[in-house]
Amino acid sequence: MENGSGCLNGSGAADSAEKAQQQQQCPAVQLSERNREAVRVIGQYLRELGLARSAEALVLEAGCPLESGAAAQFRSSVLLGDWDGAEASLASLRRALWRESSWSEIAFRLAEQRYLELLESGAHIAALCVLRGKLTPLQLSPDRLHRLSGLIMCSGPEELRQLSGWSGAAGGTRQALLDSVEQFFPPSVMLPPKRLSVLLDQAVRAQVSRCRHHNTSLSPDQLTLLADHSCQAAASVPSVCSQVLDAHQDEVHVCQFSPNGRFLATGGRDCVAIVWLVEAAANPPGAPRVRHHLTLRIGEERGGVAWLAWSPDSRLLLACAAEEATEVIVWEAETGDCIKKLKHRDEDSLTTAAWLPDSNHFVVGGNRGHFYLCSVDVGFEKAWDFIRVVALATRREDDGGTAVLAADTFARIRRYRFDTMQDETLFREDGPVMSMSISQDETLLAVCVASAGVHLWDLRLRVCRRRLHGLTHGAYLLHASIGGPNQDFVASGSHDARVCVWHRGCQAGDGAQQHLLPDKLSGHGGLVSCVSWNPRHHGMLASASDDCTVRIWLPASLAAAAQAASADGTGPGGAGFSSNGCCSSTVSKHQPPPLL
Amino acid sequence: SSEFNASYSMGRLHIEHMGGERVFSCANCDCPLTNRQQLISTRFTGATGRAFLFNRVVNLDTSELQDRVMLTGRHMVRDVSCRKCKTKLGWVYEFATEESQQYKEGKIILERALINESEGFPDPVKD
Repeated sequence: MENGSGCLNGSGAADSAEKAQQQQQCPAVQLSERNREAVRVIGQYLRELGLARSAEALVLEAGCPLESGAAAQFRSSVLLGDWDGAEASLASLRRALWRESSWSEIAFRLAEQRYLELLESGAHIAALCVLRGKLTPLQLSPDRLHRLSGLIMCSGPEELRQLSGWSGAAGGTRQALLDSVEQFFPPSVMLPPKRLSVLLDQAVRAQVSRCRHHNTSLSPDQLTLLADHSCQAAASVPSVCSQVLDAHQDEVHVCQFSPNGRFLATGGRDCVAIVWLVEAAANPPGAPRVRHHLTLRIGEERGGVAWLAWSPDSRLLLACAAEEATEVIVWEAETGDCIKKLKHRDEDSLTTAAWLPDSNHFVVGGNRGHFYLCSVDVGFEKAWDFIRVVALATRREDDGGTAVLAADTFARIRRYRFDTMQDETLFREDGPVMSMSISQDETLLAVCVASAGVHLWDLRLRVCRRRLHGLTHGAYLLHASIGGPNQDFVASGSHDARVCVWHRGCQAGDGAQQHLLPDKLSGHGGLVSCVSWNPRHHGMLASASDDCTVRIWLPASLAAAAQAASADGTGPGGAGFSSNGCCSSTVSKHQPPPLL
Repeated sequence: SSEFNASYSMGRLHIEHMGGERVFSCANCDCPLTNRQQLISTRFTGATGRAFLFNRVVNLDTSELQDRVMLTGRHMVRDVSCRKCKTKLGWVYEFATEESQQYKEGKIILERALINESEGFPDPVKD
């Protein structure tokens, strides 16, 4: 076996003799095959970082060369620009290749680098010799040859670099050439490039996929290597009720945060829509609290607020009333001014709505078969006949138009384009649809199916990604919401007065079933119909219940900060609160209790 | 109120709709129930007179199982009422003791006087 020291500096005879002596003096450490591989990989990592002497010392002490002698020779020749030497080394490596046919590819790339470097330094005659004598005889792709010969016309190194996309001899291209050649050789001869970095990245990604409460927007290469990654539940998943809002006089059926996360709208059987302000305390930062802003009446004869929808610019709030609702109302959220009362026909029943991206147009509909496109400026614009609408959402499409997604009484989720009057069925549910909610990035749709649970559909692939179970079923409408920085969390109400929170993404090594069960937040005294995630403060969740209250849930660490901020006495009151300001909420046994 | 109280009247009811060109609904509150396509027979009699037998009806609450002797024999039935206004509307056959009556099992009787018939619109084509 050759003494492949991987040494980058040319060494004189005296040096190498000394090194050989040193090696014999070092105690020979017996390494298993795995350990030898580890040493090689670490040595490569050190060398890539520029710690060449450490890499050498490692190789000496372990007695384990990073790669075969010829490969080491090849590497150092390329890095020094000794092209003839590189060719010679390559010839001796030829039989080690995975496939004989790749030899000409490697020879081509080697000659190409030589050619470009010669051109860069102005030696056009020599470059032409390389082109004729080395590149052309290989008889590879004529396109590449043609492109390379065209570069002779470049007037200077700047133009050469620009036209070819090659960053120059000093621009790391020699290393890049080595990296690109490594794939043609088995690992025993030459290591795959950046092997340790690849392994570390794989490990971190595996940890991320097992993280049960993954709720961070950090990319894998920003996460620490020093401990297995796992998002702390206390920091990311809501588990503590930080506020109980009891301004409503009757059951609360809807709650919606505005898209900018600054407002919360709630409404229910008392025919009133309340707008709340979300305030993030400055000190400590990130502890959001909710404060009453406006109370808006929709009129007694309308049977209560059935739905609330925020315009995408968070400026306008639209309210639909319950069953016999012929009119929808639009207010400006900041001032409370009623800017539109839209009524089309007396027999209409408009119980659900969604806005289009221009914050002017919106669609409304109901299960008696009314499905309209309207706008704040003009009012009623267009009708789509004979569709019994159960739920609505909108989605921007690739051609710039907006598709209206509607679930109907036949459990179909269809796509309607009011501009082209095209429609299409996207998919069909296997049970009656109660409600629908689209994620903020418009890629996922959460469909609440009666007596089944929450089904998550991928809108681009048109497949059902997850079926979420664990909520308690019954005869009443439930709404779900998708939240979290990566659309990873789904929450919904439940008939057993608890809020269900699922983390949809993680794959458990010990069976994915475990993670389909939700964390359950207790505290409400009646059925929880509707939940909403705050799009700006990702761990903040609101829930609306038949116990006439709305509750705000925060991750345990944030909640503690929020309590401290409310020490001036304007803290949450109302039923169900114990004296330390936290209600007696518990988290189900599927997750350890949060650390406060 | 941190105790869950099951006797609250709660939430917004999930009301289904079966569609159809002729829709039957509750005469008291207009809650949609079924349609002409689901009608099997008009030759039944209930407490208020004529009654219809339907294949499938939605938005109904059912009572506990009852043993009832009718003109056609002994049956196990449940009373059905409108989910929205709780008005009793008829009954559903769970079990028929006589073999000739077993075709009624799972089907629903709605009394004609307690339901309205109205115009719907054509169902969407199956796609």
